[in-house]
Amino acid sequence: MAIIENPLELESGTVVEVAERPLGALTRPSGNTGWASWLFTVDHKRIGIMYGAFAMFFFLIGGLEALAIRLQLAVPNGKILSPEVYNQVFTMHGVTMIFLVIMPLAAAFANYLLPLQIGARDVAFPRMNALSLWVFVAGGFFLCSSLFIGGWFKNVPNGGWFNYAPNSGTLFSPTQGIDFYAVGLQILGIASLVSAINLIVTTLNMRAEGMTLMRMPVLTWMLLVVQFLLLFALPVITVALFLLMFDRLWGANFFNVEMGADPLLWQHLFWIFGHPEVYILILPSFGIISEVIPVFSRKPIFGYSFMVGSGIAIGFLGWGVWAHHMFVSGLGPISVAAFSVSTMMIAVPTGVKILNWVATMWGGKIRLTTAMLFAVGVVSMFTIGGLSGVTHSVSVADTQQTDTYYIVAHFHYVIFGGALLGIFSGFYFWWPKMFGYKLNEKWGKWNFWLQIVGFNLTFGPMHILGLQGMSRRIDSYDPGYGFETWNLVSSIGSFVIFFGVLIFIINIFVSKKQAEHLPPVGPDPWDARSLEWMTASPTPEHNFDEDIVVDSLDHFWHQKYGYDDDGNVVRIAYAEDVAQDGSNDNVHLPSPSYWPLVLSAGLPFIGYGVIYNYWLCAIGGFLVLGAIFGWIFEPPDDPDGGHGHHDDHGDDGDGHSADSSDADDSAEKTDDDLVSVGADTAEAGDAATTETTATAGEADNG
Amino acid sequence: MTEPTNHRSFGDSVTREGSNKLAVDSTPRHTRRMRRTAVTGFVGLTLLLAGCAGDAELDTLEPQGPDARTIDNFSNWLFIASFVVFFIIIGLSAGVAMKNRVKGDYEEGDWPEQVHGNNKAEIAWTALPAILMIAIAAFTVITLFDLNNDESNAYAVSVDGETMQWEPHVVVVGHQWWWEYRYYFDGFDVDAFLDEGHANPAKHLPEADIVTSGQMIIPAGQEIELSVTSRDVIHSHWIPALNGKRDAVPGRISPWKLEADEPGYYFGQCTEFCGLSHARMRMQTIALDDADFAAWVANQTSAAPLSGEDAAYVAALQAGEIPENPTEAQRGLDLLRSQCSGCHLIEGVNDDIWTQEGTEINLSAGAAPNLTHLASRSTFAGGIFPMYNKDGSLNQNALEAWLRDPAAVKANNADNRQGMPNLGLSEAQIDDLVAALALLGEKPEQWIITESFSE
Repeated sequence: MAIIENPLELESGTVVEVAERPLGALTRPSGNTGWASWLFTVDHKRIGIMYGAFAMFFFLIGGLEALAIRLQLAVPNGKILSPEVYNQVFTMHGVTMIFLVIMPLAAAFANYLLPLQIGARDVAFPRMNALSLWVFVAGGFFLCSSLFIGGWFKNVPNGGWFNYAPNSGTLFSPTQGIDFYAVGLQILGIASLVSAINLIVTTLNMRAEGMTLMRMPVLTWMLLVVQFLLLFALPVITVALFLLMFDRLWGANFFNVEMGADPLLWQHLFWIFGHPEVYILILPSFGIISEVIPVFSRKPIFGYSFMVGSGIAIGFLGWGVWAHHMFVSGLGPISVAAFSVSTMMIAVPTGVKILNWVATMWGGKIRLTTAMLFAVGVVSMFTIGGLSGVTHSVSVADTQQTDTYYIVAHFHYVIFGGALLGIFSGFYFWWPKMFGYKLNEKWGKWNFWLQIVGFNLTFGPMHILGLQGMSRRIDSYDPGYGFETWNLVSSIGSFVIFFGVLIFIINIFVSKKQAEHLPPVGPDPWDARSLEWMTASPTPEHNFDEDIVVDSLDHFWHQKYGYDDDGNVVRIAYAEDVAQDGSNDNVHLPSPSYWPLVLSAGLPFIGYGVIYNYWLCAIGGFLVLGAIFGWIFEPPDDPDGGHGHHDDHGDDGDGHSADSSDADDSAEKTDDDLVSVGADTAEAGDAATTETTATAGEADNG
Repeated sequence: MTEPTNHRSFGDSVTREGSNKLAVDSTPRHTRRMRRTAVTGFVGLTLLLAGCAGDAELDTLEPQGPDARTIDNFSNWLFIASFVVFFIIIGLSAGVAMKNRVKGDYEEGDWPEQVHGNNKAEIAWTALPAILMIAIAAFTVITLFDLNNDESNAYAVSVDGETMQWEPHVVVVGHQWWWEYRYYFDGFDVDAFLDEGHANPAKHLPEADIVTSGQMIIPAGQEIELSVTSRDVIHSHWIPALNGKRDAVPGRISPWKLEADEPGYYFGQCTEFCGLSHARMRMQTIALDDADFAAWVANQTSAAPLSGEDAAYVAALQAGEIPENPTEAQRGLDLLRSQCSGCHLIEGVNDDIWTQEGTEINLSAGAAPNLTHLASRSTFAGGIFPMYNKDGSLNQNALEAWLRDPAAVKANNADNRQGMPNLGLSEAQIDDLVAALALLGEKPEQWIITESFSE
């Protein structure tokens, strides 16, 4: 972004006088209260919270779909859903949970925490950040609108989340459902891709002084690995979706067997994305519990560099295992052997992580808070998922297990037992940081135990069902195959999960109410280790009053504690003394912007347009292009805007006189506050831009 | 390991190496109780798994043939190893969490020894899983190639009085939502056929000696090579008791094999999601002893076994005559010719019309089941409805319901050329058709009928 900060005019030395709002159609929105401030915000924390809120909304939809599936399968010959609707519901359950729940929940934590954990004031491109949120929301609602467009359950994707060709072609799936899938996932892909680039740049360029890569918290590391996975995986699925869209809407023949296509092309493309996707889902949770377990064990993470290294190793190996989803597709024994062995190797770094978590707890002083319970839940439940994974990395055994409920059990132990429980651990852990109050522990424990018991009741029996030969994706089963008992148990379990989640939602409101009578939680309610706890709770808009100079891993902890001569831990300061109180209101922050929202709103129009009526594309295109122009020419700041900041960038923001004004301003307090945040950015661009870099990312110039 | 420590320590900043005291040496009572729970849990789970396996026709843990047994033996070791690792990890994480538990909030100064890591331990638990995985990988590769070896032996088959040496081999073709099995007793060269370069080779398969559907009949004790393909979408062929699965991918012909130790009835289910009626796409493999298999081959290689009068009636129809006073079954034969010839071939009944129209079949798969020996199968409509009642009588109800409205008993999308359409038959026509269908083929032996029921 430092490059963008340098308008060409500067290089040539020409100074051009321009109006204060060159071509800007609208002034920038201002104010930081009210609903509009949320819609137009570019604050990474609000964006993170909205990511979480929308994802939880979709979680309820995906959860209702899951309950419908379990109701249907509770007894033989279920009649609750017709075969047609069942196929739509299980497809939407998968697509929703993966793309609209787990990924955005991870994005919620990434957005909120990553800048804080590296000591930055925001992400590198705040408006792009808002864009990725709203594109996600637009894509999510676009996809879910398929549930009722043209009538309820008429045009819903029905090919499974994996959507294998040629069943996904118009010949075999003539409704518009799979068009919604193809277009919707492309929209969602834009969101993730934009976010990935943003967070990679943020992590690499905007770390606080002294925050070397190997001092970053494990969560930050895992999120960074995930962003790289997204960056490389999403283009692959986008290509596949693009081909599918051309097949379905414009009569191309990429997957048309009659024209000589090989349907395995889709499988390869899908799983080259799809397997890294698994790590995209799970690594954020690995990061979360790597933060939670040390805090509630009162020990540093065991083998930090191994934790980081194994995460990177998983990220790399994750690219070389995709064909293990295709062991029975007829690849031939050589390919199968190669992918079988590579898949087994990925168990090694995963095992290292599990043992390191255990070793972190070993000899620790463990407080079983709800966050910690969920974290320990991840360690044990993910282990089950990992081990069942090893049994089908053995391609020979997989020929019996694949496409049975054994696999359904496996990946729910990974995605629910691993990813989702980790995310719940994160909720309980960072809730006070995000909202200024703790979630109630008593309700939290109910939440945990119901969820873990319900989860095992639901998915544990599926191992047995799978080995008994119950096939996946069947809308009903006949009596007499021995499937009755465990399906009923599983369905009962799913309702226990439902109550667990319900209690979580109740807990949010109960705790908020209770918090009115409790003292404020303070910056550091858990006696934690990383930088986000070094500022007030909830995090002030500008994150940090002063730049933090980091001198070690777990810098914050080392501010609070040291060692005496015998090597015992002794307190050297209280959190309140070290942490910042968020009182500095002289920090220049990027202004809100209308355009990310407008641009995002255009995309569903294009989506509906390509499916139903090209004129809608014109409307969508107009919105997108208009938003891009608005974005580019938007004034840097609203000088009249009262968003609480000392605003001295009225004209340097448009870039033309940045050099001189920065030099003048640098004596002021505000700028002193800002400059050093972007220590690493010095290498990225010229020093004169460091200030805006540190503050606002590209927002001032776009 | 060396942490990048920069402690603000009062004393010397010692880099602490892990002194990993074992949890066992303190609080032995606690651990003993845990160990007992673990053992109980393990035994309980094993019993549970064993106990529930009894009545499952698709059970993967009760192999009935050498291929499935190879897989099962390997899997058993895997499950045991997994259980051991599982109990170690669960025991460790839950045990450590319980043992080191602090009730209530931390007290000031309540800090354990700060261990940052231990390189030896890290290397150990990187190397140990790696060694374990390499061992598993080696066995996997060996077993994998073993399972992909063709070890079939020539098997004598007599067709039309001519004895030929058959390399036991069946071409398996998936359709929405049923399986077709094609037998080529004089051999079928897959490679040569693929060299013909058809875009969708399954739609151009050469004429076979036997074409049947829903049920694959094999000689027991013989390894049968399979060539698995599909005419429409991807399906997966799976007879759990005999071997793992193999996808039927249109445009490809994938080799697979299976073998049954003993004569018997083995259930199967399509396991690749293939659209609307995926749940109702089933199949069975029936292994027969040599004599029964020879008899079956003799039956299937002849035309539909109509009685003299019925055959004469059909001959008259074929000659363009309209014979008088047909029986119920004869009226049904007439209907078969007029209503069903668009899709179904019934040798000896409609082959004269079918061969003219056969290329225009109005199904996306381009084929419907060959009904020549329908009544010799114990299930119909994609292996889901029993053809006969348990007492051996014809399952008239199911046949009638099917003819009345196929989509009502097995979801389909006939408007989109997927599945059998509703022909709008009158009740009288349905009765006639059922009577005619009963003529097509010899009733299978009673044990096959009995075994066809999943209960």
